[in-house]
Amino acid sequence: MKLSICHLYPDVLNLYGDTGNIICMKKRLEWRGIETEITDLAIGDTADFSQFDLFFVGGGQDFEQEVILEDLHKGKDREIISAIEDEKVFLAICGGYQMLGQYYRTRSGEQCDFIGALDLYTLASETRMIGNYMFECAPENGGTVVGFENHSGKTYLGAGVSPLGKVSRGFGNNGEDGTEGARYKNVFGTYCHGPLLPKNPQFADMLLLTALRRKYPDIFLPPLDDTLEIKAHDIMEMRLK
Amino acid sequence: MSLRTTTAIIASKVTKKFLRLLGHGGTTLPGGVALKICPDLLGFLARDVGCVIITGTNGKTTSARIIEEMFDKAGLPCFANRSGANLITGVTAEFIDNCTVTGKPRKAWAILETDEAASKEICRLTDPEIVLVTNVFRDQLDRYGEVTHTLGNIITGIKNSPNAKVCLNADCSLSVSIADQVPNEILYFGVDVPIYKDPVNEVSDASHCIHCKHEYEYSYHTYGHLGGFFCPGCGFKRPERQLAVTEILSTDIGSTTVRIDCFGDLEELTINLPGGYNIYNAAGALAVAELMGFDRGLARDAASSFSCGFGRMEQFDLGMTKARMILIKNPAGCNQVLNFLTGLGEKALFVCCLNDRIADGTDVSWIWDVNFERLAEMGDRLDAVHVTGLRAYDMAVRLKYAGIPEDKLRVFDNYDELIDAMRSQQLPVVIMPTYTAMMELREKMSAAFGGRQFWE
Repeated sequence: MKLSICHLYPDVLNLYGDTGNIICMKKRLEWRGIETEITDLAIGDTADFSQFDLFFVGGGQDFEQEVILEDLHKGKDREIISAIEDEKVFLAICGGYQMLGQYYRTRSGEQCDFIGALDLYTLASETRMIGNYMFECAPENGGTVVGFENHSGKTYLGAGVSPLGKVSRGFGNNGEDGTEGARYKNVFGTYCHGPLLPKNPQFADMLLLTALRRKYPDIFLPPLDDTLEIKAHDIMEMRLK
Repeated sequence: MSLRTTTAIIASKVTKKFLRLLGHGGTTLPGGVALKICPDLLGFLARDVGCVIITGTNGKTTSARIIEEMFDKAGLPCFANRSGANLITGVTAEFIDNCTVTGKPRKAWAILETDEAASKEICRLTDPEIVLVTNVFRDQLDRYGEVTHTLGNIITGIKNSPNAKVCLNADCSLSVSIADQVPNEILYFGVDVPIYKDPVNEVSDASHCIHCKHEYEYSYHTYGHLGGFFCPGCGFKRPERQLAVTEILSTDIGSTTVRIDCFGDLEELTINLPGGYNIYNAAGALAVAELMGFDRGLARDAASSFSCGFGRMEQFDLGMTKARMILIKNPAGCNQVLNFLTGLGEKALFVCCLNDRIADGTDVSWIWDVNFERLAEMGDRLDAVHVTGLRAYDMAVRLKYAGIPEDKLRVFDNYDELIDAMRSQQLPVVIMPTYTAMMELREKMSAAFGGRQFWE
């Protein structure tokens, strides 16, 4: 058994320890005897997207955004959209999450077009939404998730996507409507750094299982000893309650 | 001189006395009290003091200690914010400590390490003679925002220092980009050769050109994004340096010996701290010595004899063995520390203390950008890893996923239990705390094993 993971733009979208999600997925699969192949797709690199089961894209600095957009518009945008429509699994964090949406509008009104794979858009704001935060997903979708958010963009969801969870502490998408992240087909978009997966093992396994089931419909993931992970999770949950 | 300044100075001195009586360090609160009474007090106190300001992401404290040693050797009386309190409150407190009640300075020079964001105001008020920028890396994004924002703060600080000569790291593209934004005279220092035999694959904090966004090419790397950078897009490149390390001659557990080219003058230099990053700190300090017109031999002596700041390889005698404490605060710095420690070849016990207070950075995500896998690669040479701090379990999870076997991983819920476990140690201990964990642990360890208080 094997899962093929594509890490999009690890050369520039590598802020806030988001690569920890890749380390986490690799280990959790390895501990269950499942092989992982990780392909780094940097700016300028090309690949056949059909070979990948799961895509990961992290957050980055505003400074590098232009470089990525230029590269996306050279064809990767179409590849990403067709992989999403094909129900491939995507985990997109912060800047990577925003970029799957329609556009980003700066405070001076300039609009920056993103790839439009998800029905959502982001507006620049003056508030820095920053700190440890917590949101609730359905139990089968990961349950209570804890992490760290750090963004000034406010994201608003359209009718075509559902929220990933409901904010119980912190800001989430925009600090206004109580939503956090977005779910569309098998795309999971979120503002959650921390990083997300190591401290939320339930969410991590749900994500891996979603990706594995596309290939191996009857697969079952044996439980792991998550004592440390759950302790890290629960200490933060207690603090935020 | 007004009644207000005198009141501020006296109130601050009294606060400090009071805190010391209570057994506290009192490195920032007395400054805070003074600034409440007289907000521009620092400008007044600094008017007759020559200031050397050291800012940048990593290496501020060590560079400042070497520079202080040079001033001592040169016979120039100076004071310094040695405790590492590097915001305007801490710097003000230091000036008050070194003046009479009427505000007259006791010493003519101040060696000040300043937080990058605080350097804007501190530079404006102190009008420094020299500004040294050690390097610019990603650091505590929750506090400083993106690295370009940090850079902006440093540039404003230098713009507020019209009379300063500036030392910049020629190997750091972010630092070099400061040069054409400011009118000041610039002196570049750097390292001309790779530092490590087998460089680690690290995340680069500046992979693309700050001017045209093309990816940089490198003729060599030292660590992080430092090295011989060149932008094929616009031609932005490592500038001609005046002072640089040209060869690494030998390294051991306590020091590094290098060859240094100082304006064409080639000499051997021993730095009495190990670790590649300290080579840069010495080079930066030597650049400051050039601007001060110090004798080169004297400057080199200072680099080989200075005593390091607390938490920078500070040693504690545990009885049967020694513990070394090394501050960790961001991925680039922590990777350097691990690079050095895991290369020592001796079996050791590691201790990681992770806090998430404001001075540590409230976002602990950065530990996932650190190659803790290097600890796992030590195999049998890794005795165990002890973990403590407010975010101990986050650290434990990181280490588990780095491949440290769980039977070598132990979480301590408080410092006392950790110290008890250290008492019976026979193997060397390496302690890597974040800032506030270091302050707390130092105090506990000094009490348990002897040592200086941090404000001494």
